[in-house]
Amino acid sequence: MNNKNENILKLKEKIKNIEKKQSNESQKKNENGASFGFKISTELVAALIIGVGIGLIVDNYLGTKPFGLIIFFFLGSFAGFLNIYRVMRRIEKQ
Amino acid sequence: MTSSEENHGTEKHSPLEQFEISPYGHFETRIGDLAFTNSSLAMVITVLAITLFLTLTVSTKSIIPSRMQLMSEMSYNFIAQLLNDTVGNQGKKYFPFVFAIFMFILIGNMIGMLPYSFTFTSHIIVTFALAAMVFIGVTVLGFAKHGLHFFSFFVVPGLPWYMLPILIPIEVISYLARPISLSVRLFANMLAGHTLLKVFAGFVLPLGFAGVVPLAFIVALTGLEILIAFLQAYVFAILTCMYINDAIHLH
Repeated sequence: MNNKNENILKLKEKIKNIEKKQSNESQKKNENGASFGFKISTELVAALIIGVGIGLIVDNYLGTKPFGLIIFFFLGSFAGFLNIYRVMRRIEKQ
Repeated sequence: MTSSEENHGTEKHSPLEQFEISPYGHFETRIGDLAFTNSSLAMVITVLAITLFLTLTVSTKSIIPSRMQLMSEMSYNFIAQLLNDTVGNQGKKYFPFVFAIFMFILIGNMIGMLPYSFTFTSHIIVTFALAAMVFIGVTVLGFAKHGLHFFSFFVVPGLPWYMLPILIPIEVISYLARPISLSVRLFANMLAGHTLLKVFAGFVLPLGFAGVVPLAFIVALTGLEILIAFLQAYVFAILTCMYINDAIHLH
């Protein structure tokens, strides 16, 4: 009986050790730099593309040649920074 | 014949040659050539591979699963867990959609890693079609759930009224940028990785004995490329889940 209990205790310790190792590994599993850079840059570029696109369309239809592009370029860049801020906040949370 | 004989040994292979679309035959319609291409073939192979993998591995249905059965159960659990973590209990309805997109991108990327095959996710039109499907689906879902109240998604709560004329266009632009950032990320990662592999492969023979260095680099890079192939499918799936969550729970 005693021998069995000892075996169970040993098994418990083994399981605990493995669980500890696994939790350590999952914490270490951070993203590499390249994918992080891609994430940030695509957010900025995508918002800028949309902003400039809307600006050009507005200029084309309303005939306000430079102003639509200028205004929507700035709005697009703000939107890009807002997206980057949101991505960063999401990463911080994790 | 003569030109190929002159270039013997230093035959010019563009690193971008792997992305060329070559149609099998012609199928002219009013909107253009809808021929079956090598890209379509890769997609068909992907769908067949997924179908075979998921049906054959769970056909035995043993309580103690075999290795293959465990693999398909793990892929199911992976997405179910992801959906449960980001959307919650209401997200179960959208599991087939997210799972289909995840498996299609993942297996497509992995089939693209095989030599002489074709990576269809390295074409922006394919990834943009997937991203547009997600974007339109999520927008329709938002309108179906909340009606016109969905527009309040663009209004950040707790803001003074005089900031609204600036912030609503910014929010709308950042909403419209979603499909572009989603598609460009997947496409650029796959395109850059595969081009890099081919460029370094081009260094191996001309360098002679020193070609061992780029060869070793390619081996390491192939491992990284497989990691990226999985990671990009995962990122696409998790962002789809987040957009579904945004559409169901406004703010």
